[in-house]
Amino acid sequence: MPVYRKPESIINTAGYCGGCGHGVIQRLIAECIEELGLQDHVIACVDIACAFWSQDALNFEFIAGPHGRCASVATGIKKVRPDATVYVHAGDGCSYVIGLDETAYAAVRDVPITMIVVNNGIFGMTGGQMNLATTLVGDKTLSSKAGRNAETMGKPVDMLKALSAFDVEFLARGALYDPKHIDQTKNFIKKGFENQRDVKGFSLIEVLSPCPTNWKLSPVDAMAKIKNENEKVFPVGVYVDRGGAK
Amino acid sequence: MAKAKANVELCKGCRLCVENCPRKAIIPLETVNKKGYEIIEINEDLCIGCGICYKVCPDYVFTVE
Repeated sequence: MPVYRKPESIINTAGYCGGCGHGVIQRLIAECIEELGLQDHVIACVDIACAFWSQDALNFEFIAGPHGRCASVATGIKKVRPDATVYVHAGDGCSYVIGLDETAYAAVRDVPITMIVVNNGIFGMTGGQMNLATTLVGDKTLSSKAGRNAETMGKPVDMLKALSAFDVEFLARGALYDPKHIDQTKNFIKKGFENQRDVKGFSLIEVLSPCPTNWKLSPVDAMAKIKNENEKVFPVGVYVDRGGAK
Repeated sequence: MAKAKANVELCKGCRLCVENCPRKAIIPLETVNKKGYEIIEINEDLCIGCGICYKVCPDYVFTVE
């Protein structure tokens, strides 16, 4: 029988809310790094947002740059420490709204880093404001009290389709609403780290994750919302898999 | 045979394990832990050690061995 035990790189608890997807993503990152044997030389870049808590929990080196600039900070680290495993653990507000230019230019440069973007459709740590790129039409948030109106606030954007216009190594989207999709997401994240180890290019893995506190749903209902609503707009799967630099 | 063990002091009462357990071996309780979250209990007779609770738990409560 297989044995399931918390990875050794997780040394502490983190302050996430109950039912938050960040805890699962953090565990998947630690498991992938340990399975590939890269844990001795990892530099992680986190955002000033909910992902910031992973500094407490994981036994890696961490940098938290200015909010939204994770991709640029990670690009800088990778330039001066090319032998280190550099990953970004950030949210959708950081990567797709405030730091969209940083994410886009990291993709244009095709820097061999692994970027994990947590798509929870909201600005979580600031209290649940609308996210222009990922909040669904009709979702009620702190800054769209009557629900997102497509005429005045626009529609959500599938950023992986936008980024696939660039010459990047790997773009994929996973979800966390059932064990099968958690395993699939783990395979995507592992592929992202393998691409970095083999110096292939820029890998970005987006994960559909719940934010029960700001969605004002129970964790179980939040998972059902991802399955029934978010996945329809943001389909799960591999978008780009180049298979090595051209 | 492998069985799940729970460190309920880490639990945050999200009930994802209760929802996902294929054998309904995880029982939600009204008892709270030191942090004040409602905890769970494992019925070891029903547990088959599949590891699904470990996979879905965001707070690393479960160990299966």
